[in-house]
Amino acid sequence: MYLPKFTLESPKSFEEAVSLLKSGEDARLLSGGTDLLPRMKYKLCTPGVVVSLKGLPPIPIQVDEEDNLIVDANMSLTAITLSPEIQEKAPLLAKAAQMVATREIRNMGTIGGNICQETRCLYLNQTHTFQFIEPCLKRGGTVCYFAPKGKKCWAVFMSDTAPALFCLNADVIISDLNGDHQIPIEKIYTGDSLKPLSLGSDQIITKIVIPETEGPSGSGFAKFTVRETIEFAVVNIGVFLEAEKNLETCKQARITVGAVFGAPQRAVEAEDWLAGKNLSQENINKASQKIASSLKIMPHHGYSKSYLTECLKIQSRHALSDAVKELIDQNIGGR
Amino acid sequence: MTTAQRKRIIELTVNEETYELAIECQEILLDVLRNNLGLTGTKEGCGTGECGSCTVLLEGEPILACLMLAVECENKKIETIEGQSINGDLTPVQEAFLEKGGVQCGFCTPGMVMASTDLLKRNPDPSKEDIMESLGGHLCRCTGYNKIMESVQHAVKLNRDNT
Repeated sequence: MYLPKFTLESPKSFEEAVSLLKSGEDARLLSGGTDLLPRMKYKLCTPGVVVSLKGLPPIPIQVDEEDNLIVDANMSLTAITLSPEIQEKAPLLAKAAQMVATREIRNMGTIGGNICQETRCLYLNQTHTFQFIEPCLKRGGTVCYFAPKGKKCWAVFMSDTAPALFCLNADVIISDLNGDHQIPIEKIYTGDSLKPLSLGSDQIITKIVIPETEGPSGSGFAKFTVRETIEFAVVNIGVFLEAEKNLETCKQARITVGAVFGAPQRAVEAEDWLAGKNLSQENINKASQKIASSLKIMPHHGYSKSYLTECLKIQSRHALSDAVKELIDQNIGGR
Repeated sequence: MTTAQRKRIIELTVNEETYELAIECQEILLDVLRNNLGLTGTKEGCGTGECGSCTVLLEGEPILACLMLAVECENKKIETIEGQSINGDLTPVQEAFLEKGGVQCGFCTPGMVMASTDLLKRNPDPSKEDIMESLGGHLCRCTGYNKIMESVQHAVKLNRDNT
């Protein structure tokens, strides 16, 4: 399968990349390439210019004065998984990155690329060469083959690391011609499957800032797939629990669900309900019910809404239980 | 400032041999290995990163050659299945695949061997789960996964006997 022709630009800095994106007609950013190149092969996008970030020098993880972790967006997912700083200060991100696809893809894919991936759908992500039918909404047409009577696009956003970063209250640093801006990661998603990212065509996510957490905490990540590996999630969920000193009462919960909508969703209702409650199995079960019943769930890849709701309930229970287990295991010494 | 050109002259180091090539920007490593260098051991299955049959080692790490632009591999060390055996001597992983019948039609085998070689380098004594995780991105349409698992486990044994 061949790539369409394009001109390759290889900037040596993010600033140069921004100016190339601005000047290039129909330019696209290439980071790891594991999302963009298959879509280019399927002719879902045919940019005239590709601006590759692969020549940029790697920047090691830094810790600023406020103990925030500063992660280079161009860091590979394998490096994220193996980083001792991330394993210690943001284990949730390490767990989520470990669950992305396979070792080969994690070696190529980057964290910035993973949170900026396109939405996917069973109809869209395939070759369309011999389909003599009208293109779907995402390919510039007016129909959706997944929901033929629907007026909107039903593709879902399947990143595994984005829900983890939501739970960690992470910010992203965006570079454009006006300089750097730091915004919460939640702000980069529109929730619209047709155009999932709010980033402008000349904006690049250069860094990810993960704030320091205070007090005892635990995290869990669950991803359900049929084949277990090299598969996008049927549903995924990240959980971050902050507990009182007794390790039994939940002080604050942050729960984010991915792969069932055009953007990751915070389960605010369940988070509010869990705050101040005892982290018992009974309450975990109740919170799982609340997560599954309160979120928008779009059927995708042949899975019905009721199936996904049940899946989410079970995965929520797994992630919450793992978070409680980590909370107790990691903090029992200081109790 | 700009480095943009449709065609570039680059040097590729494949299996410790350096080649000078004039290639277009959109050419992927897989096609360059197969079409320009004649190294047809690396196979194209899906071409979109789903099957793992094009796995090669780039700087010692397994990557998918179907999703890698060849011009971006300049000054990096590439290892393919052809570079595994030295003077006709098979590596323990290749030997094990042969002995245990881990090869049926053989299309997925180069990818499987490269991924297994990488696994055993990182972890000389992998558990069954480690092997399954490592080979998770490799599809075998002959469905010979049991034999492949046995082959990797046998390679562990051969490695142990050799040392």
